[in-house]
Amino acid sequence: MLKINNLSANIENKSILKGFSLNIKPGEVHAIMGPNGSGKSTLSNILSGKKGYEVTGDILFENKNLFDLETEERAHIGIFLAFQYPLEIPGVNTNIFLKTSLNAIRKARGEKELDAIEFLKLVKEKAKELKFDEEKLSRQLNVGFSGGEKKKNEILQMSMLAPKLSILDETDSGLDIDALKIVADGVNTLRNKENSFLIITHYQRLLDYIKPDFVHVLMNGKIIKSGGPELALELEKKGYESFN
Amino acid sequence: MNEQIKIDFEKTFKTSGLSETDVNLKKKFLDKFILNGFPNRKLENWKFSDINQIIHKNIGELSFFSDYSSSNKIDTSVFIDGLEHNKIVFINGRVEKIDFSYEDDEKIKLNETSETESEIKSFNSLVDLNNAFSSKIYKISIKKDYHLKKPLVIYNTTNNKIKSKSINIRLKFELDQNSSLRLIDYNNHQSEKNFINIFYDFELKKNSILKNYKIDNDHNKNIGYSFNNINQDENSFSENFILSSGSSFFKNEINCNLNGNYSSAFVNGIISLMNDQHHEIRTSINHLVENTKSYQLIKSVLGKDSKAVYQGKIFVNSQAQKTDGYQLSKAILLDESSEFNAKPELEIYADDVKCSHGSASGSLDENSIFYLMSRGLNYRQSKELLINGFMLDVIDKITDPEVKNLVKNMIGLKE
Ligand SMILES: Nc1ncnc2c1ncn2[C@@H]1O[C@H](COP(=O)(O)OP(=O)(O)O)[C@@H](O)[C@H]1O
Ligand SMILES: [Mg+2]
Repeated sequence: MLKINNLSANIENKSILKGFSLNIKPGEVHAIMGPNGSGKSTLSNILSGKKGYEVTGDILFENKNLFDLETEERAHIGIFLAFQYPLEIPGVNTNIFLKTSLNAIRKARGEKELDAIEFLKLVKEKAKELKFDEEKLSRQLNVGFSGGEKKKNEILQMSMLAPKLSILDETDSGLDIDALKIVADGVNTLRNKENSFLIITHYQRLLDYIKPDFVHVLMNGKIIKSGGPELALELEKKGYESFN
Repeated sequence: MNEQIKIDFEKTFKTSGLSETDVNLKKKFLDKFILNGFPNRKLENWKFSDINQIIHKNIGELSFFSDYSSSNKIDTSVFIDGLEHNKIVFINGRVEKIDFSYEDDEKIKLNETSETESEIKSFNSLVDLNNAFSSKIYKISIKKDYHLKKPLVIYNTTNNKIKSKSINIRLKFELDQNSSLRLIDYNNHQSEKNFINIFYDFELKKNSILKNYKIDNDHNKNIGYSFNNINQDENSFSENFILSSGSSFFKNEINCNLNGNYSSAFVNGIISLMNDQHHEIRTSINHLVENTKSYQLIKSVLGKDSKAVYQGKIFVNSQAQKTDGYQLSKAILLDESSEFNAKPELEIYADDVKCSHGSASGSLDENSIFYLMSRGLNYRQSKELLINGFMLDVIDKITDPEVKNLVKNMIGLKE
């Protein structure tokens, strides 16, 4: 599904990713762990099409070259990024944003756009599943939301858009155990033979609830070790230094 | 210009039916205008624009003759739909219709009035020009305790029969105690290359409420100037909302004297421009007694080659303790060629006051655009959503729900 081959990325003449390769098949859950500043968010941003990086290498998603696609086109073909720091968008109503987003994606997929009633029914259902305070949906997007609410809002968007590849960039950071379980439930509900996940985290804690198929250690811009879930436990015990 | 303007003046008032006294007074305004000419950049209020040059560039030679003798056909398609309202219709500077059919006749007095000698003291040469050339002046007086049932819309319209003309529109308003008026200025122009000069006076008596919504939203190639002079008695309230977007050049000037305790003035504005447009808002809020309040919020969205200016002055004299004055302006520059100038002026002579001002401008936030696009919105949609969001809090300041909806529809803001 996703094939990253020998990806290097620079920003402002600083080399961040240095020959990064990763292969994700449909239905797989991959976890990436790495110290602060190792390039995890850079990778996420590049996958979603953020501008401003100098890149070399290839990224194929379902055999399409991602570098040929704009950010919104990547969303249309099923790539979703839960932001490490979701943005506050003043003056934009959360519900209107969600509906515009969902319908843009449905339209691109050739599906019927939802009318206001159908949309509200769906969003209420999803909000309930995620124990997301419905009242927040009529507020300005992420404005005045707590850290946890912002993260849950990302997962709500993920559930609404039902992407093929979901990238979670440290969604678990700063969440209490209840919120963590809700995030994990969101992922597990969406998890099936087709949908894949790339979960970026610092802590193996989240992986107790979302069992990954593969764990990778990212350091100095590339994967230095890959393994199964046991690698996360080992990392937690020994720290990143032992892998250097 | 000087010989021509005198000839135009004689021609305008030969057939106007104005009394000799009135015409003689008008002549004094004319002489004063001829003496001072159009405002220039040396004047504090005109620092950022040379109106002479703007007229020269956009219009060329200006004719001052106004034909007040023959009437113009009203195009009813310009009337605002879906909002019941009273109306005064100006076409090419001539009053063509006055309609207060929603109101109690005896509660509104409509007088033809004259200029007064005292106005000759003004320091605003565009006001002099207006006084010299405007037709008969109507004074609209709202009686004590009367609240107009429906808004009054002033249609400042022009048809395509005129070009390169100076057009002068003049009204006076008096709101007696406990009365209220919702006033919408609606600019709609089928003409191009004219200079439209609007001058309103307001007397707000104790406890009265004025809500003035000034709308220049339809794209047109005219140059506009609007001046509101507002005097406020005790506990009166004025809300001024400006949507500045349609004309090639438009300058809104508001001078507000808070003469009575607990009086308050609000100025909220949106300037939204593209290609070569240049709009300005100039306010001067004068806190002259204790316990008065003013609040100003101006937001600009500026496309390629456009320019906006906000000059907001808060004046607090030495008696005006417990003044509360606030102003904030923000601008989004959509292109490297767009320009925003903010010049806050605080002149404070009392010590127990709360006054603040702030100004910020910058381009659209790229990270926010990326966030929205990563959710499937294209660049245009994302930009639109951010811009609408940026303007929303100004729209939300509109206290009249009907007008708020009207404005939202006009600028394409959806619920
Ligand atoms: N816009 C930027 N400009 C300059 N340096 C950046 C920028 N974004 C990230 N970096 C640098 O790139 C490195 C990797 O950052 P990031 O991908 O955010 O790491 P992580 O998410 O793993 O903590 C860091 O050293 C960071 O300072
Ligand atoms: Mg990061």
